[in-house]
Amino acid sequence: MTDEQIMEAVRNGDLQQASLLFDRYNKRLFNFLARMTMDRDLAEDLTQNVFLRMIRYRNSYKPGHKFQSWIYQVARNVFTDHYQVSKKKKTDHMDIEKVGEWVADDNDGHTIDEQEKLLHQSMQLLSEDQRELLVLTRFQHMKYEEVAEMMETTVANIKVKVHRAISKLREHYFQLEKI
Amino acid sequence: MERERLEGLLIDFIDGRLTESERKEVKELLSTNNEVRVLYEQLKQVTTAMDRSAEINPTARLSRGFQQMLTEEVAQQHAPKQRQVFFTPAIFRAAAAVFLVMSGVVIGYYVNQYNAQQERLAVIEREKQEIEKENLRLKNNMLALIGNESSASQRMKGVNVALTIESADDEVVEALVKTLNEDKNSNVRLAALDALSKFHQEPNVRKALIAALGKQDDPVVQIALIQLMVKMKEKGVLKDLNRIIEDNNSIKPVKDEAYSGILKLS
Repeated sequence: MTDEQIMEAVRNGDLQQASLLFDRYNKRLFNFLARMTMDRDLAEDLTQNVFLRMIRYRNSYKPGHKFQSWIYQVARNVFTDHYQVSKKKKTDHMDIEKVGEWVADDNDGHTIDEQEKLLHQSMQLLSEDQRELLVLTRFQHMKYEEVAEMMETTVANIKVKVHRAISKLREHYFQLEKI
Repeated sequence: MERERLEGLLIDFIDGRLTESERKEVKELLSTNNEVRVLYEQLKQVTTAMDRSAEINPTARLSRGFQQMLTEEVAQQHAPKQRQVFFTPAIFRAAAAVFLVMSGVVIGYYVNQYNAQQERLAVIEREKQEIEKENLRLKNNMLALIGNESSASQRMKGVNVALTIESADDEVVEALVKTLNEDKNSNVRLAALDALSKFHQEPNVRKALIAALGKQDDPVVQIALIQLMVKMKEKGVLKDLNRIIEDNNSIKPVKDEAYSGILKLS
């Protein structure tokens, strides 16, 4: 069954089918939100909120519409709403020196090298929009076409913005490396 | 070459998105320009770092939380929903509002009417109690006066009190009948007859009056009784009237009244 078929079933009231979509998307959405918030616990809460909205606002899903675009749009809204409600921006309370530590977690045995730590510190210095574009296209390996569809813009526009974001990231990365 | 275009070309070169001619152009630049080569190396390093960055795993808390949330949502879905009545278009809602207001006014009016009626009934009830109280006072007064054997004027006064009583109970009727039949003074007996005639519609009074005709020997009272019987159209007294006619002790005016009575009642 495609994502769209499952979502239509959920939309028609078969809520149990939501488990299939959770299985397919929870890790990806969690990673998206974790890299946006740089906070694992918060990312888990927000991910759960995404699936709660998926069920509660299931009627806002238009049949035939690409599910991935829709659910990522929900995730972006959840992220934006969280910081609007808490009235603070990520950069206001994150200590740049500690950025990167959140990726390492004893539970999954993932160790982090200096290069990756530098990468996340550089990511933190980008604007939220630029960070989001890089998370989607480089970390989540989404195609420019998919991101363009999600953000309701052209592929060319996305491509230019991604290039600028990478360029900016490079600047931050090598500036931090010198410190 | 413009810096932004150069960086774009290098990124697309790294990603393998360039056309053949563009690729040749970039390769040419890389082999001849050291600055471009450094830029390329740096871009390559950050893009590779991003591409290689491992996915992180959520904890089991996320999955548990989702299952719990799903269970709750499913339970809520099957819970009976509170039915919400919602009129559309707005004109229906306005009509419903007007109806509610009008209903409130009508109900309020009737509640008000009901309360006023209850108040009137309470007033009537109070008046009725006052009358009953007054009647009781008069009755007791009357009985006390009638019982005064030594004074005819007092007994007369008592009988006159009976005339003001609205309704007569057994006790009053009994006292008046006793006075009618037994009082020594004919004026008092006549007054008692007058008082009883006021209640002649009452079955017990009627019965007592008929019986009294057989007992009376005072001509004045006999005549008054015969006249009352005629007025009452009481045919049951014909036998007594015949007895009065045949009675040698009856005086002529009484016999005449008895004849007249027989004539009117036959």
